[in-house]
Formats: sequence, C-alpha cells, structure tokens
Amino acid sequence: MSDALLEVEDLRVAFASGGREIRAVDGVSYQVEPGRTLAIIGESGSGKTVGCRAIMGLLPLGTAISGSARLHGTELIGLSDSQLRKHRGSDMAMVFQDPARSLNPTMRVGKQITEAIRTHRKVSKSDARDQAIELLRLVRIPAPERRFAEYPHQLSGGMRQRVVIAMALACRPKLLIADEATTALDVTTQAQIMELLLELQRDLGMALIFISHDLGLAASYADEVVVMYAGKVVEQAPAKRLFGAGGTVKMRYTRALLDAIPHLERAAHTELPVVTGRPPDPSMLPVGCSFAPRCLSAADDCAAKAPALTEHAPGHRWACWHPCENGGTA
Amino acid sequence: MAAQLPDMTAATLTAGGQPPLPSLVSARALRWQKVSRALRLWVPAALLIALLFLCFVWPYIYSIPPGDSGSILDAALPPFSPGHWLGTDPNGVDIFSMLVYGGQVSFEISLAVTAFGMIVGGTIGLTAGYFGGWADSILSRVVDVLIAFPALVLVLAVAEVLQPSETHLIWALSVFSVPAFARVTRGATLTVRNLPFITASRLTGTSNWKIIFKHVLPNVIPGIVTFSLLGIGIIVILEGAVDFLGLGIQIPQPSWGAMIAKGQNVLTAEPQYVLIPSIVLLIFVMSLNLLGDALRERWGVR
Repeated sequence: MSDALLEVEDLRVAFASGGREIRAVDGVSYQVEPGRTLAIIGESGSGKTVGCRAIMGLLPLGTAISGSARLHGTELIGLSDSQLRKHRGSDMAMVFQDPARSLNPTMRVGKQITEAIRTHRKVSKSDARDQAIELLRLVRIPAPERRFAEYPHQLSGGMRQRVVIAMALACRPKLLIADEATTALDVTTQAQIMELLLELQRDLGMALIFISHDLGLAASYADEVVVMYAGKVVEQAPAKRLFGAGGTVKMRYTRALLDAIPHLERAAHTELPVVTGRPPDPSMLPVGCSFAPRCLSAADDCAAKAPALTEHAPGHRWACWHPCENGGTA
Repeated sequence: MAAQLPDMTAATLTAGGQPPLPSLVSARALRWQKVSRALRLWVPAALLIALLFLCFVWPYIYSIPPGDSGSILDAALPPFSPGHWLGTDPNGVDIFSMLVYGGQVSFEISLAVTAFGMIVGGTIGLTAGYFGGWADSILSRVVDVLIAFPALVLVLAVAEVLQPSETHLIWALSVFSVPAFARVTRGATLTVRNLPFITASRLTGTSNWKIIFKHVLPNVIPGIVTFSLLGIGIIVILEGAVDFLGLGIQIPQPSWGAMIAKGQNVLTAEPQYVLIPSIVLLIFVMSLNLLGDALRERWGVR
C-alpha cells in the first residue's frame, strides 16, 4: 500500500463560474508506484487534466481543491506556491500537449534546459551545459551539440517534444505527468515519443502518468488505466485485464469508447459506432449515473441513483449498475 | 477523369530525367517583392537617420546662424537667399537654424517621454499582466484613470502651474505615455503568460522574476518597440501642439510648433513660415509610423 509514489485520495476540484459551481473533478482516487505507468483516459472536459494540474498546483487562485495527494508521503494539496516550487521539477515534472508552444521562441533550446537544471542544483555553467547535452542525447536527439545552440523554430514537432521532455527530466523527477504529450504529433512520431517515455521511465525508475483521450495508446503502453467521465472515475483496472486477450471491460462508457475505434477486421461499409450526445454540463450533473443519458443500456435505476466505484473483482473497479457481460463485445 | 490519371503519370515518368520545376510565380514578381520589402524598411529609416544627422551632427560640422536671434538687416528674406537657404523670419532669424534647433528639442522631448513611458509603463504592464489578481486590478484602474484624463488639458495645466519648460513638458507628456505603454505591455504579457512554455518554466521551479525577465520580456519587446515608434510620432505632434498654444518651449528658443504658430498670422502672404516646419514634422512623424509598420511586419507583431 504505502510503496506507492503518488497517492491521490478523494480529490475534488470545483470552480465558481457564472454564479454556479462547476465540479471539474469529483472524488478521484488512484495511486502510482515507481516505475509504473498510469493512463488517465477521458473525453475533453472529463477532468483528467484539471485533476493533474491540481496536484501540480497549477490551478488559478480561487479554485476549491479538497482531498489529498501525497507524493512520497508529502501532502501536496494546500501547499503554497513557494513550497511547491521545491517539488516541481525535482520531484515531479510535466510535459504538455503543444510542443510548439512549450518552448520559449526567443531562447536557444540549450539555454532553456540549462536553466531548468540550474534552478534546482548549484552547478557551474559548463557543467550544466554538459548535463544538458547529455539530456539531449538521452532523449535521442541526433547531434546534440549542434541542437544545443538552435532555436525552437529550427526543430521539428517531434524534436521539440523531445526537448520538452529533456527539460522535464532535467532534475530527474520521480514522477512525470504527460498531458496529451503525443496528441499534437503524427502517429509515427507519437509512437516514437511513447517508446522514448517508457524507455526513460525504465532507465530512471520514474512513475509515469499519461493523460490521453486515446484508448489505443493506453492499451499499448499503460500498466494501469483510469477511465474518467464527468469528473468521476468510472472504471479502473490493470491494462491487461481491460484490453488483453478476452478483455473484460465492464463499464458501458469504456466499452463505447473501445467500439468507436476503427478496426481493420470490422466488416467493410458498416457504420462506425459512435458515442452519441455530448458529455453533461458539469454545472448541472444528473442525479443518477452521469453517463446514463448517453448509455444504450440505461435503465430506470441508472437515472435514480449514481453507482459507486466499487472493487468488484481484484484490482478492477467500475461504477455501473448494469456492467457489460463477457466484456460486452457483442 | 480517373482513366486519364495513369496516362499522365506514365507520361511524366517516361519523360525521363528531372525537368526543372516551372516556377508558378514570375521572377519579376519575386524580385519586386524583395525590393519593396527592403524599401518599406529602409526608406523611413534613412529619412529618420538623415533628420537625426541634420539636427544633431550638422550644426557641429558646419557653422549655421543662431536659431534664436538674427539681424534685423536680414529680416523676412525669401528662401534660397545667400547665407539663408530657407530664408529668414520677420525677426531675421534663419529658418533652417530654427528647424535644426527646434528638431533637437522635439527629438529630446519625444525620446525622453517615450523612454520614460516604456520603462515605467512597461514595468506596470508586466507586473499587472503577469501576476494578475489584485495587483492587476489596482494597477489597471490607475492606468484607466490616467488614460481617461484628457492629455492636452493636463499638459496645459502643468505648464500653467509649474512654468513652461522642457523638463516640465517631459513630465506632463509622460503622464500620457506611461498608461499607454502599460496597457500595451499588459495585453502582450497576458497573451504570453498563458502559453505553455511559461507554465513549463514554472513547473521546473523557476522564480517569478526570472520568468518575467527571461521568458515574458523577450517575447513582448517587439510589440513594445513598434508601439514606441508610433508613440514617438504622437508625442512629437502633441509637443508641437503645446508649443503652438504657447505653453511649451518658450520664445526665443525655437521649436517646430512655435514656428507654425508664429507663421499662421501671415499664412496667405508668406505660406513658407507654416509650410516648412509642417513638412518637416510630417516627414518625421510619417517616417516613424512607416518604420513602425515595417518592423511590425518583419517581427510578426499583430
């Protein structure tokens, strides 16, 4: 239990907007062990990014955050900006979606990495330079000495994302959060970056949380998967259990997402199933299950009372009154 | 259509070798684009440099008549008179000298006011834009009040109360330039501060001041510099207006605005008294604006 690196318990984040309360994250719990990969999957607005930003202390002032997030037993929620600064970079780091805008266009990439190194460690300029080049080599950038002196606009998207990862790794964080880190890249680059992240994770023993809307990515790279919907975790299980041979997806929402992925073996010219409708307005969530209005198997009890996230099978939790039978492949 | 496609590929393949790609844009159009782009930057820049040279270097190389006194014997000479190539005014003061010394004052005042506005207003804008929250609320309200204040009225009030002088004029006009720069800087800062690289920098634990100087400032400077060129033009005109009203630079010290004011009494009979300083003022302000536009285009500022 306590060998977890990051323990998030009952995290809740709420904003006030237009005189109404918006519950962006509503009671989320998970934990990540060192060297493991957790995928947080969900549609836009499901609270996956907000939850992680709350942990990093990146939400604007005036956001109500409750619950707990312990990194190595240190409570992060409620820390001031200056207290958090000690943990940021050295204990946890984050990689963002848009590599084009994650680097300062007016600064050479090498300078940006050395700056990240020198904020936490007292090292000389030339040592920092050597470390930065070493980092560039670590993220597989060819000719790192030359790239060191280049500006971001001289690099391709995949290359930039590698630089951003190098910056995040500058102080060897124990936890790396990749927020849609591969979404803006094309599919081959995406695979390279994911491979790189996993390799680095193995070498450095980091825990990796990657936030994505891509179930396929989670299936291929994650150890543990958390599926979020309307601010709540609706299903949580080891990736193997969900997507492995004879996968047993229980929650109807996860199933619907899986079905919406095009497959080669699907009969030609059949209509691709989609999840109809849109996620509920987070300021007025339904009383019952949030997914009920879009769920094909919704019954009366779904609208009446929200199902709780319960551990029905070892390591597998889901929140559904009418879970799929046999993985619901039918 | 579909049947033609294989044909076309075959034809291109059998043509062999690699035919040079035909340019879709004519070479002339390309050359003209390059030339006009260079001209847009260098013509106003050259005009400005020439004006600066004329005002600050010329009088030290060549001796020119004094700009604040003249001999009554040379009064009201027409342009192209020997020794006074732009002529003299009814008091016998050389018009070219007045332009040169008046230009010095205009340059000094406009640069001082702009520099002051850039530093003070820029700091206010950066602070307000970056930190947001109550700092932004307070600073923005102060700036709003200053902007709402009619600039010319304030300048006139200062001149009335504190005696007209070059220094007082600089302070009074700064009240106008500081909030303008604060607004522009704040706006630019707001756009930059929400970019992911700022967040990324915060995430590596960089302190706020370091982020402001290393990440925000270099990205807002192009916008501020182009704005300052437009700002200088506005200040020169404002300064001219105050001189025109007789509350700026005091006679006999020459200034462009005062020259225009003096000449307006004889506008129909001797139009050159108004025309000459007006044309110089026009060239100066227009070069500044054109240079600002050219830089904006090059740096890709809005």
